Amino acid sequence: MPRPTLPWFTTRLLALVADPETREAQLGDLAEEFEERAERGLGDATAWYRRQVVGSMGPNLTRRVRRALAVVTDRKGEGRMKTLWHDLRLAMRGARKNFAFSAVVVGTLALGIGANTTIFSIVYGLVLDPFPFPEPDRIVGVGTAYPKLGSALGYVENMSPAEFMDIRDNASTLEDVVAWDMGNRQIDSDGPPENIFSAFWWGDALGTLEMNAILGRGFADDEVATGANVILIGEDLWTNRFGADSTVVGQSFSINGQPYTLIGVFPSGVDLYGTELWMTMPAGPEVYDRNRRQFQVMGRIVEGSNLAAVNAELDGLARRVEQAHVAEFEEYEGWRMQATTWNDVSSQFFRAGVWVLLGAVGFVLLLVCANTANLLLARARGRRREMAVRTALGASRKRIIGQLLTESVSLSLLGGALGVGLAWLGVQGIGAFLNTVGVNLAGTVALNGPVLAFTACVAVGSGILFGIAPALQASRIGISAALKADGKGATAGSSRQRLQRSLVAIEVALAFVLLAGGGLLVNSFLRVGQVDPGFAMDNVLTMRLTLSRDRYPGDAGPAFFRQLTERLEQLPGIEQAGAGTQFPPVAFAFRQIFFDGPEADAEATLPTTLTTIVTPGYFETLGVPLLRGRDFDDRDAAGAPLAAVINQEVADRFFPGQDPIGRRLKLGEAGADIPWWEIVGVVGATRNLGLDQEPFPEVFAAHEQVGGGQNQLFLVLRTRDEPASMLPAVRQAILEMDSEQPVYAVRTIEQTYNQGIAPMRATTLLLSIFAVFALVMAAVGIYSIVSFTVGERTQEIGLRVALGADAGRVRGLVVRQALLPVVIGAAIGLGLALAVSGGLSRMLFEVSGSDPLTLGTVAILLIAVASAASWVPAYRASRMDPVEALRAE
Amino acid sequence: MTGTSFLGAFEQVVLLAVAHLGEDGYGVTVRKEIERRTGREVSVGAVYATLGRLEDKGLASSWEGESTARRGGRARRHFRIEPAGRRALEATRGMLDAMWDGLDANPADR
Repeated sequence: MPRPTLPWFTTRLLALVADPETREAQLGDLAEEFEERAERGLGDATAWYRRQVVGSMGPNLTRRVRRALAVVTDRKGEGRMKTLWHDLRLAMRGARKNFAFSAVVVGTLALGIGANTTIFSIVYGLVLDPFPFPEPDRIVGVGTAYPKLGSALGYVENMSPAEFMDIRDNASTLEDVVAWDMGNRQIDSDGPPENIFSAFWWGDALGTLEMNAILGRGFADDEVATGANVILIGEDLWTNRFGADSTVVGQSFSINGQPYTLIGVFPSGVDLYGTELWMTMPAGPEVYDRNRRQFQVMGRIVEGSNLAAVNAELDGLARRVEQAHVAEFEEYEGWRMQATTWNDVSSQFFRAGVWVLLGAVGFVLLLVCANTANLLLARARGRRREMAVRTALGASRKRIIGQLLTESVSLSLLGGALGVGLAWLGVQGIGAFLNTVGVNLAGTVALNGPVLAFTACVAVGSGILFGIAPALQASRIGISAALKADGKGATAGSSRQRLQRSLVAIEVALAFVLLAGGGLLVNSFLRVGQVDPGFAMDNVLTMRLTLSRDRYPGDAGPAFFRQLTERLEQLPGIEQAGAGTQFPPVAFAFRQIFFDGPEADAEATLPTTLTTIVTPGYFETLGVPLLRGRDFDDRDAAGAPLAAVINQEVADRFFPGQDPIGRRLKLGEAGADIPWWEIVGVVGATRNLGLDQEPFPEVFAAHEQVGGGQNQLFLVLRTRDEPASMLPAVRQAILEMDSEQPVYAVRTIEQTYNQGIAPMRATTLLLSIFAVFALVMAAVGIYSIVSFTVGERTQEIGLRVALGADAGRVRGLVVRQALLPVVIGAAIGLGLALAVSGGLSRMLFEVSGSDPLTLGTVAILLIAVASAASWVPAYRASRMDPVEALRAE
Repeated sequence: MTGTSFLGAFEQVVLLAVAHLGEDGYGVTVRKEIERRTGREVSVGAVYATLGRLEDKGLASSWEGESTARRGGRARRHFRIEPAGRRALEATRGMLDAMWDGLDANPADR
C-alpha cells in the first residue's frame, strides 16, 4: 500500500509558521496521526490535516512573538550589561598590565580635564550664573553712549535722574526700574567706625531683582519717595559686623553721624558692585540737572517681552529725548541707550579674559586627546594579534570597537576623577591669587553640580574623541596577516601612519595657537611693565578722606587739607605731601571743557578732559614734571584770579604749535554762565587712565579756588622708605587735627596698579602655563611618533647604512620626514591663530594679534622643539649596527 | 497562598492530560487524550504552545524521543508533569472549589 502523501502546501505553511523549538515535533505528530487517519479515509484525513494546520497558526505565532519579546526585554538587555561589564573588566586588566602607559594617559587627561574644570568653574561662577536672582535673564542694566562726547557705551555713572525718569515712566517693556548712586558711608555705632561701600537707591531694588530680604524687608515706596532714614545691610556685613544677630532689625544705627533704622538684611550675592549698605536716595530729581550723570539704572523685562523689544523701545525713547533736549544739551546728538542683561554688565570687564582662557583650555584638552589618540595608535600595533585572535574567535567589528571605546572612556573617566581633584586645587590657587588683589571668588566660584556635570561630559566626550580613531583603526585588521609572526608589514600600517602624522599636525596646530596666544599676552604684559607712567610710582601712599560738610563748611575744607599736608611734611619719613580728587593711573572724573578761541569749534566731538582738583604739592609728590609756566602756589587762593594747569596732552591736542599759557578755558559747556580759568602751567602727561591706555587730556584746578563743595580728596604722600610703615604716624597726625576723621582706601600706588592689572597678569600667567604644557605635549607626540616610525623602519635603515648611506644622511632623512607634519601643522596653526586673535585683541597692549615677531618666534620655537624631539630617535637610528638592524624582526 | 501560580482553563486541560498519560505523554497522545475526554478537537499548535508556556513556568518538562518512519523521520517530544505542575493544578482546583462552594453546580437545576 502506497503511503498517503501529506498535503504539501499546508505542511510548508506550518513549517514556516511553527515555533522552531517544537516545529519538528508538531510536524511529526501531524504526519503520524495523518497516516493513521488516512487508513480510514484519505479525504477526511486531509481535511483534518488542513484544520489542524489552520488552527495551529494562531498559537504558534503568539508563542513566537512572546518569546521574541522576552528575548528583547530580558535576555538582550542582560547581555548588553554583561558585555559592558566584561569590557570594563578587560579595560581594568589592560590598565594594570600596561601601568606606565595608563599612568601617562590618565595623568595628561587629568591635567587637561582639571584645567578645563577649573576655568569652567570660574566662567560659570563669574559669567554664566553669578547671581541668585530667580530670573537673571530678565534683569537688565541700561547703558548709554554719547558719540558727541566721544564716549563708548557705559553702564556706570551714566544716567541722570531725569533720564532715569524718562525710562521709568515711558518704557512699557521694563518694570520696576530703579536707579542708584554709590559711595562710602561710615557706620559709627556698635563697634569701631567702619567705612562701607554703599548704594543709594531710588526704588526697591529687591523687588526688581525678585529677591526677598533674608531678614526684615526691602524699601517701601514712601520711604524711597521721602528719602527716609532707613537702611538695609548685606548678609556678609550682617555676619561679620553684627554676628548674624537677628535682633538688629528695627534698631537704630549712626551712619555718618545721623540716626538710621535698620529695616532688613539682603542676601549675599545681591551686593551689586560689592555694596553692603543700602540707603534711600537723599535727594529727588529736582535737585540734579539733566546732565548730572552719576547714576546707574536697572530694570526687569516685563513678562512676555524680550531684550530686543526693550532695546527697540529704548531706541525710540532716545530719539524723542534727543529731539526734546538737544538744543540745550548738545551731547544728546546721536546718543543711544542700550539694555544688557545684568550678568553681562557686571562681567563686562573680565568676560573677554575668561572666555579666552576657556578657549585655551579647550585647545589644551584637544591637544591631550590628539596625543592620547597617538599613544593608543602606537599601542594598538602591539595589540594587533590580540584583536586578530578576537576577530578569528568570532568577535564582530562592532564588538571590538565597543571594547576599545570602553577602554578609552574608562581611562578618561579616571583622568576626569583625578582632574576634579586638580581643579579643586586650581580653584583654591586662583582664588588665593585674586584675594591678594582684593577679588573674592569664595561663594561665587565652586565645583558645584553644573560644573561637575560639565566635567563628566568633557571626560566622556574626550574618551570617545581620542578613542574612536584608534578603535576604528584597530578593528580594521586583516586576520591572517596579523596572525602571521608578529604581524610585521601587516596592512593597517600605512593608514595608521597617515593617521599618526595627521594627529601630530593637529597637535602642532593646537600648540601653535596656544603658544601664539601666550606669546602675545606675555609680550603685552612686558610692554605694559615698560611703559613710562609719566610719574614716579614707587613709595607713594594714598588714602581717601571725606570731610563732613557740616563741620567743614565753605573754605574750611581746603584749609584743612592745606594744614594737613603741611603737617604731614614735617613727619620724618615723609618727603612730600599733597592731595587731589584723583590720581594716576586710576583717574575717573571727566568733565566737558570749552576753550576760548577759534579752536573751540574745530573738534567734532565736545572736548572732554579729566578734571582734577589738587592742592599745591600734588605734582611734586607724584613726580609729575612741570614743563611750562608755574605750579599752583599761594597766589591761587579763594577770590584770586582763577588759575588752571593743563597736561601736555591738552596742549598738544588743543593748542598745537602754540603757547597755551595765558589762554582761557571753561570747565563746563560753552554757553553756560560760569567763569573763565586762565592756564598758568603745563605739566607732563601721565598714564592717567591706566598704564595700558594712552595719556588722556587732564585739567587741574586749585582746591582753594574750587571751594568746600569738593569735600572728598585723596592724600598722596611720598615716603622715604616702605610706604606702609608710615601709616600709623599719618593716622596719628590726622587724628590730632580731627579725632573723628576716618581714613579709608589706604593703598600704595603700586598696589592700585597691581590690582588694576591683576586680571591681565592672571590671564597671562595661566595662558603661559597652558602654552608651555601644549609645547611639551606636542614635543612628546612628535618624539613618540618618530621613535615609532624609526622602530618600524629598522630594517630599511639598516639596509641603507649597509649600502653606505652615512649617518648624517640617515638622520636627515628621519628628521625631514618627521618635520613634514610639523610644518603642515604650524601652517594650519598660524591660520587658526590669526582667525582667533580677534578674541584676544581686547587684552593686548601695543601688540597686534597678528604680530609677526611673536608668530614667527612661535613657529621657529615649535619647529626647533620638533626637530629636537625627532633628532633623538633619528640619532639612534643612524647609530644602528646594520647587521643587527637587518636581522631585526 | 503559597506562591503557586493559578492556571488558565486550557492550561489545566493540557496539564491534566499529561498527568493522566504518565510516561506515555507526547504530542499525539496528549491531543488524543484531550479529545477523548472532552469530545472537542484541539489543534496541535495550541497544545504545543501551551506546553511550551507550562515548561517556561517549570510546571512540565520535555525531552526528545525516538523518530519513526511514520513521522517522516521526525522525533517525538515527550512531556511529563513536574511536582510544581501538580501543586499548581491542586491550587487552581482548590480556588475554584472555594468559589463554587454554596452554588449548585448541577446543570439540571438551571
